[in-house]
Amino acid sequence: MIGILQAKFKMFLRNPWTFMLFTGMSIGFALILGGSGLTTISVPVYSENEEMQQSFISEKLEESDAFTFNWMTEDELKDEIANGRAEIGVILLEHDYRFIVGVDSPNRSMLEQTVRGAYVEKFQQDNILAAANATTDAEKETVLENLQETMESPVFEMNRSSFRSADTFVYDDTFQRLFGFTLFFVIYTIAYNVLPILVEKKDGLWDRVILSPVKKWEMYVANLIYSFFEGYLQVLIIFLIFRYWVGVDFHGRFLETLLVLIPYVFSIVALSIFITALVKNAQAFNAIIPIISVSMAMIGGAYWPIEIVESEFLLALSKINPLTYGMEVLNGIAVYGYPLEELVFPISILLLMGVVLMGVGIHLMERRHV
Amino acid sequence: MLELVDLSKKFKQNDAVKNLNMFIEKGEIIGLLGPNGAGKSTAISMLSSLIEPTKGDVRFRNKSMIKHPAPLRNVIGVVPQEIALYEDLTAEENMQFFGKIYRLRGIQLKKKIDEVLEQIGLTDRRKDIVKTFSGGMKRRLNIGVAMLHDPEIIIMDEPTVGIDPQSRNYILETVKRLNKEKQMTVLYTSHYMEEVEFLCDRIYIMDKGNLIASGTKDEIKRILSAEKTISIQADRWNDEFIEELKQNPTVNRVTVGEKEITIIIPREVNMFAAIIKMAENADVELNSVDVQTPTLEDVFLHLTGRALRD
Repeated sequence: MIGILQAKFKMFLRNPWTFMLFTGMSIGFALILGGSGLTTISVPVYSENEEMQQSFISEKLEESDAFTFNWMTEDELKDEIANGRAEIGVILLEHDYRFIVGVDSPNRSMLEQTVRGAYVEKFQQDNILAAANATTDAEKETVLENLQETMESPVFEMNRSSFRSADTFVYDDTFQRLFGFTLFFVIYTIAYNVLPILVEKKDGLWDRVILSPVKKWEMYVANLIYSFFEGYLQVLIIFLIFRYWVGVDFHGRFLETLLVLIPYVFSIVALSIFITALVKNAQAFNAIIPIISVSMAMIGGAYWPIEIVESEFLLALSKINPLTYGMEVLNGIAVYGYPLEELVFPISILLLMGVVLMGVGIHLMERRHV
Repeated sequence: MLELVDLSKKFKQNDAVKNLNMFIEKGEIIGLLGPNGAGKSTAISMLSSLIEPTKGDVRFRNKSMIKHPAPLRNVIGVVPQEIALYEDLTAEENMQFFGKIYRLRGIQLKKKIDEVLEQIGLTDRRKDIVKTFSGGMKRRLNIGVAMLHDPEIIIMDEPTVGIDPQSRNYILETVKRLNKEKQMTVLYTSHYMEEVEFLCDRIYIMDKGNLIASGTKDEIKRILSAEKTISIQADRWNDEFIEELKQNPTVNRVTVGEKEITIIIPREVNMFAAIIKMAENADVELNSVDVQTPTLEDVFLHLTGRALRD
């Protein structure tokens, strides 16, 4: 069995392109379509007073995650708006601000909140300094340091939370795209790793191994371990990239997210075995896999949330789709924050599907001499 | 040493092999001959314990191998018709893989790989990836991996299909050398009559799942001892000439090709003048008329009425 695994890994290292392609496509689609936080809205900003660029307000604006403020001249700013390269421009005054609006979109109110917030904070700070009678720069600095220290260890904290019923649907675009595309593309990676079982059997390679002291079950186990490994490696790489490069924090439950992927990957390995047992040759397998994977993605909630599907028939079909349960466990952990105990049902369904499909698949393969 | 007794295999309604009886002695090269679909591959799959027969027995050293094939599996090496190799690995890595599954390790494995690569003439290409090999080189490696564990019996299922004549000769010479130097028993299936004639001590001929003849080369050719073959060549034929040949009472069989007609007649009959006359009457311009000594191809033709590669 070790020999078979070694051969498989050597071939993987020599030819990792399919794996890389599907991994790259998962990451690319999730980043481009998922609003991953990498893209910010560019806002042109101008002030008559050049010192504003180094001011407290400017510092506060730069802290914004949603907007990138680009300093420029007044003419350039107007030109950006006039030519549609920016929706809104901001002119900063010492105690006030003006907006030049080209396109009135929901971004305007978000931008207004951001800019007003910076001014409110500046006025609060000025009032505190006035109340503390700090007139010299040294005094102001001391007061602000004390203020900062006090804010870091407050006397009491206020926590704000909202309540929702158990049936409330929460949509997070980043997670929807990330989970959807990851679970979708990994079907291809796994399926194309199970396919060699069919090809090797047709080519007589398995017959050669069967005649050796290696047992047939060892060959199945080695191939399945390898397919599982490659599928899991793909989702692991994607999630690691989103966790540590893009900065998606999985609501602080990254390890649990990785853990609940195991039953999903296992069920897809089993599904691939089952399909391999049904088809007659590699051409048929190549034709059927895109049909099955796209159908699974459509009715399993990978392309759009399953919650918006109204057709009873499609909802019934989704109940026999591993991808539905894969999305359910991932959203359960990262979006809804459910404890693992509440996800026992979908995890059990995935494991059950895995065991049944694998058992039936291997049995069919042996019976049909695939 | 190895015996097939009334071996049959039925796939649904199709009898792939019917009551095949065969024996192989140590050190022999046995040829299993027949056209595509004759049942050769099914027969050797049953012999090598890959598929279970519907009926009959495979006996190795007087013990049945149907339920407990391990003693037979330990001593056979199988060269399948397809290239059963990992094409993304190098020749040496393939050898390492197949050596390891036969529990060869370390120095022993390395020595064996060196030896086999030398025998199949691929020492210089050991580090090259198999998919860059020519068809002939792949075939040689296909044979090589079956020899790593020093099998007593090597079963080759049409090992020269689809390769150039040079590689084919190399393979045939290698098989002959292995048999001579290592006393390796070989079961060689082919639909190339000349390969079997060159290699084999004894021959079994199959057609449509049946064993239709067996024996040494001479014994089989003696089937035609009472007859001889005449090859008539011309650029074109007409129906009148062919019909006249078929109607001739001394002609036992007529096979018409594009530019060649083969007839089988009793050995004592001299038809040379009669053929020339028939051609003149039918306005057929002959290129040549040759009387041939019988070949295995003629035997097959005689037994089945079809050429081997039909």
